[in-house]
Amino acid sequence: MPILSKDARIIWRRRIQGFWEEFSRKKIGILGLIMLFVFIFMAIFAPWLTPYDPLAQQRVADGFAMPQWVTVFPQFQNLTNTESVWFDWSKTTESPYIIGYGRNVTVTYEPKATETFRIKFESIYTYKAPVPPNSFYLDFSWTAGNVENMEYSINLYVINPRTEKSFLLYYKTNTTPAGENSHVDSIDPILMYRLGLSPGVDILGNIVFPDKGDYRFVLEMFFKPTNPSARCDINVREGQLTVLGTAHGILGTDNAGADLWSQLVWGARVSLMIGLIAALLSTTIGITVGVVTGYLGGIVDEAMMRVVDILLCLPILPLLLSLVFLFGKNIFYIILFVAIFGWQGLSRIVRSQVLSLRESSFIECATASGASKTYIMTKHLVPNVLPVAFASLILAVPSAILFEASLSFLGFGDPRAPTWGKILQMGFGFGGFSHLAWWWIIPPGLCITLLCLAFVFMGHAIDDVVNPRLRRRR
Amino acid sequence: MRGYLVKRIIVSLIILWIIASLNFVIFQVVSPVSPEESILPPGGGDDASMREARAILRRLYGLDEPIYIRYAKYVQNMFTWNFGTSFRSMKSVSGEMSWRMSNSILLLGLAEIATILVGIPIGIFAASRRGTKIDVATIGAGLLTWGVPTFFIQLLALLVFAYYSYVWFGFSLFPTRGIYSIPPPADPVGFVADVAWHLALPVGSLVLAGFGSWALYTRSILLETLTQDYIVTARAKGLDERTVLYRHAFRATLPPIVTVVALAVPGVVTGAMITEYLFNLPGIGQWYLTALLSADYPVVQSVLFIYAMLTIFANLFADIIYGVLDPRIRVGQGSGR
Repeated sequence: MPILSKDARIIWRRRIQGFWEEFSRKKIGILGLIMLFVFIFMAIFAPWLTPYDPLAQQRVADGFAMPQWVTVFPQFQNLTNTESVWFDWSKTTESPYIIGYGRNVTVTYEPKATETFRIKFESIYTYKAPVPPNSFYLDFSWTAGNVENMEYSINLYVINPRTEKSFLLYYKTNTTPAGENSHVDSIDPILMYRLGLSPGVDILGNIVFPDKGDYRFVLEMFFKPTNPSARCDINVREGQLTVLGTAHGILGTDNAGADLWSQLVWGARVSLMIGLIAALLSTTIGITVGVVTGYLGGIVDEAMMRVVDILLCLPILPLLLSLVFLFGKNIFYIILFVAIFGWQGLSRIVRSQVLSLRESSFIECATASGASKTYIMTKHLVPNVLPVAFASLILAVPSAILFEASLSFLGFGDPRAPTWGKILQMGFGFGGFSHLAWWWIIPPGLCITLLCLAFVFMGHAIDDVVNPRLRRRR
Repeated sequence: MRGYLVKRIIVSLIILWIIASLNFVIFQVVSPVSPEESILPPGGGDDASMREARAILRRLYGLDEPIYIRYAKYVQNMFTWNFGTSFRSMKSVSGEMSWRMSNSILLLGLAEIATILVGIPIGIFAASRRGTKIDVATIGAGLLTWGVPTFFIQLLALLVFAYYSYVWFGFSLFPTRGIYSIPPPADPVGFVADVAWHLALPVGSLVLAGFGSWALYTRSILLETLTQDYIVTARAKGLDERTVLYRHAFRATLPPIVTVVALAVPGVVTGAMITEYLFNLPGIGQWYLTALLSADYPVVQSVLFIYAMLTIFANLFADIIYGVLDPRIRVGQGSGR
C-alpha cells in the first residue's frame, strides 16, 4: 500500500510545484543550489576525481610541495615534479654466476672452494632538474635463497659523476629471514647519522644530487664461503628510485608529502553526510517533540519544555568535546551528539504552531469524526508544520557542519574520516603556517564556508517562500 | 514581579543543580577513565607499588567513599566555589579559575562590546536606507556570518598579519600567541599597550565574524518597528526623520536588543574556546581543552559548571532586564515561555 493516497499525492505534487515556482525566482536560493550541486558532485565522484587514498598519507611529493599550477608564475619556475624510475641494472664484469640482470638481478654463487666473490651492477639515473631535490626514496626487494655455509652482504650506493663521491644508502649482511622489502628514505635520521649528517639540518637530497648529471647507482654483492660446499642465490627485484618534487597536483602536499586535493575532495563527502544526517535527525526530533508536546499538553508538555530549558542552558561545544572524548572519536557518535543538541529551537517553533493549529476547525472536525490522537498528529499536524521544519532543516545543516568542523579542528574528529576540519587542524599543528602553506590552510576553510553558505542561501530563500510574513530571522 | 523573580531564581538554581549532577554522572560514573588512572602514567602495570599509588590517590581524592557521599560532597563543593585540585598541576582549581577567567573576560568582553558597537549602528543605518546597496550589503554580511567559521577568519588573519607580514616587511605586525610579551613591559602604559597589541587579532577577528548577525538583527527589528502606527503618527506630526529613527523607533527596539545581548554572552564565552586555542591565550576555554585532553576531570567539571552557570544567569538577567525595559510585561506573566 502506498504511503500517500492518490489525492494526497496530487496535493503534494501541486504544493511542490508551487514551491519550486516561488523558489526559482529567488536568485540567492538558486545560487545556493548551484553551489550545493558542485559539492554533491565532488562527494559522489570523489573516487574518480582523486588519484590517491586520502587517509593513506602516501608520500607523493616533497613535504609542503606547492600546487603544480603556480609554476606559471616566474618566481616559482624552479619547482620540480616527482620523478619515479625503475633501476635497470647492467653488469660491470662478465661472470658465469650471473643468471639474470636488468630489472631483476639474479646471482647464484656456488664456488666449490672457499673463494670470496664480489660483483657489481650499475644503473644510471640522469638528474635533469635545474635545482637539487630535497628528498628521495628507493624501494626494492631482495631475497637470498639456498644459503649454505655462506656469508653474504648486499650494498647499494650512489656515485656523483662530477666529484666521484659515493654515498652508501643501503647495506645488509646475512639476515633472517633472508631478504626483505627495503625502503630507503632520505629523511631517515639513522641513514643521515650513518652518512655523518645531521637530521633536520642537512638535506640529503641536496647533498646526493647537487646538480644535473648522470648519477651511477651501484648494487654490490659480496660472498664469503665458510666451507667449500657453500652456495647462495641472491635475487634483487623491482628496484625503484623516486625523487620527490617540490610541486604537485592541484593543491600541493602537506608536511608528510600527501596529496591535499584528494583529502579535500573526500572531505566533501564526509561534511555533506554529517550535515545532512545530523540535520535530518535533529529536525525529526524537533518535529516529534513539538507536535507531541503542543498537541497533548499537560504533564508531557511541561516535562519536555523543562528538558528544552536545560538543553538550552548547556554549553554545547564544550559538552560535545567531552562527550566525544569519553565515548570515542567516532563519526557516528559525532553525528548523534550534534543531532541531540540541535533540536530545541525547532521544537519550540513547532510547538507554538501546533498550539494554534490545535484550536482550528479542521482539527476539531477530525476529533469529532473520531480520529485518534496519533492519526491527528501524523496526518494533520505534521504535514502542516513541515514547511517551517523544512526551512529549519536547511539551516540546521550548516550548523551541524560547523560543529563537526570545530570538533575536527580541535583534534576531536574521527581519525578515520578525512574531513576539512582535520586538514585545517593538521595545517595548524604541523607547520602549515611557518611554511606559509596557503594551499594547505585556505582551500579547506573555503570549502567549509562555501558549503555552509550554499545551505544558508537556500535556507534564506526557502524561509522567504514558506514564511512570507515572517521577515524576522533568529 | 517579585514573586516571578523568586520563582525564576529557584528554577535557575534547580537547572544548575541538574546540570551539575549530569556533570557528575558523565565524569565520575560513566567515564571510561577512572580519575586515578588519569593521574598515573598510562600503562603503569599492576605491581605492588602501582596498587599502593592507586590506593593513596583514591584516598587523597576521596574516591574510596561510596558514590552517594561523593555526590553529596561534589554538589556541596560546586555550590561553594570549591572546585578541588587539578590532577595535572596539583593546584587549586578555583585559584587558577580566577586569573584565567579574567583573561577570558578581557578578551570576550572587548570582543562583545566592539561587535555590538560596530553591528548595531550598521543595522540602524541599513534599516534607515532600506533597499539601497548599503542595505543589501548588510544582509550579505549577516548571511556570511552564518556560513563562515570564525576559526577560518582567524586562521586567515594569523596567516596574513603574523606570518606573511614577516615575509613582506621583515617583522610580524601582530604576535601569534599569548596575552602579553614575555617578559612583560614594566611600565603600566607599556603593559596595556602590549596587551592591546596581543589582543588586536583575536578581538578583531571575532568582531569581523560577529558584527553581521548583529546588524541583521537590529535591522529586522527596526524595520518591524518602523511599520508601527506611532511611527506613522510621529512622521505625520512633521518630526524630522532623525528624531523619528532615534527617539521613537530605536528606543522601542532596545528591549529585544538588550535581551539578545545578554543571551549572547554565554555563547560568546563558549564559542571563544577556539579563539583561545588558536591564539594560545590563557583563558578558560584553552584550559578546558588541555584539561580534557589530559583527563583532568576537576578542571573539566568546573569549567562546564561555570559555562552552564553563565548561561543560566544570562537567561535570568535577560528576563529581568526585559521586564524592566518593557513596561508591558512588567506584571509578571512570562511563565508561559
